[in-house]
Amino acid sequence: MGVLLGLEGEATDAEVVRAVLAGDVERYAVLVRRYRDRYARYASRMLGSRDVAEDAVQDALVRAFDRLADCREPDKFAGWLFLILRNRCFAERRRRRRIERPLDSTDEMFAAPDRPDGAYEQVERAHALERALQHLTPEQREVFVLKHMEGLAYEEIAGVTGATVASLKMRMHRAYDRLRELMKEHL
Amino acid sequence: MTTGYHPLVKRLLDGELSLAELPPELRAEGEEALRLAGAADRAPVALSPALEERVMATVRRHAASPGNRAWRWLNTPRDVELRLRVRPWTVWAGALAAAAALALLLGRPAPEPVPGAQARGDMRDSVLVRFVLYAPGAHRVAVAGTFNQWDRAAAPLVPAGTSGVWTTTLALPAGQHQYAFVVDGARWVVDPGAPAVNDGFGRRNSIVAVTAPGAHL
Repeated sequence: MGVLLGLEGEATDAEVVRAVLAGDVERYAVLVRRYRDRYARYASRMLGSRDVAEDAVQDALVRAFDRLADCREPDKFAGWLFLILRNRCFAERRRRRRIERPLDSTDEMFAAPDRPDGAYEQVERAHALERALQHLTPEQREVFVLKHMEGLAYEEIAGVTGATVASLKMRMHRAYDRLRELMKEHL
Repeated sequence: MTTGYHPLVKRLLDGELSLAELPPELRAEGEEALRLAGAADRAPVALSPALEERVMATVRRHAASPGNRAWRWLNTPRDVELRLRVRPWTVWAGALAAAAALALLLGRPAPEPVPGAQARGDMRDSVLVRFVLYAPGAHRVAVAGTFNQWDRAAAPLVPAGTSGVWTTTLALPAGQHQYAFVVDGARWVVDPGAPAVNDGFGRRNSIVAVTAPGAHL
């Protein structure tokens, strides 16, 4: 078993993709394990709900399998999967905007400990930020999530989203102003 | 009414300035902004352990469906070994004939199925398709697509003299194929002479439709 895990860990994405395309469907589990949690935080923050994020990650992984033959560069499977998940998150936001009010179920993601040392205030502020993020445009929210939660530089965000650094900065700076307004009671 | 942050404070949030580099009158605003950014929750999010099994169950079902199996069979490239027994002079004659045919065909930019040129034997159901790209200055050009698993090394084009025109001819099965050229091993270029579609992930793929031998496009 240890050997199997070792082989899984060593297999590159490209090797796994080619094995799956050659008919070894079970090898796809390697990619599922490798990426399910890596993108969970992005989806959760984009969608404002861990449950909805879980559905999105699941759908993205299934869709990636269905379209695996279209993956131009198997060694860049991670980026390709991210684009599928990103499209899925944006589509989910559009769908929810059409049928109901924006997601506001971030309570599930936070505990609010009753502590006198300022931790409660920090948790409240984090909670307020999560709520405020849901009132940004999807593009503004995404750049904030990728920079301040995923820790990516503008150049890296440009690489995964296809936007220019200048337009990303403009989105982000508008997001800062909007968040300041939305969170004025908590700053 | 809360006003927006000062541009220098935004640069602080972007990590381009430190708090100490702000003018004294902006320090308080900067501290407030840092409290905002500091509220970002960077804790990992754990999804249900059952997610993997749900994905794999769906994937197995999709893989087993007849439609998907047929599509994968059609779409998965295979290695075909051809063993030929020839006399040397026939190789030279064939090469000259191919070069003459290539020269005649070079004027047309889009990949085009060559009617009646399908190979014999195992390649009876394939049609020869010529790919042409004008790429002066390129050192290497290849074509990658659904027909070769987007392998950037599987189908190199060869330069036609020094004109900047690169070309190759591939035997493709009937059906619609997506492809793009790969210039110098890294740059993906859509075929300017062929229709293109969005691949759903923000990039464009060229399209070539190959009809069965004897049919008209």
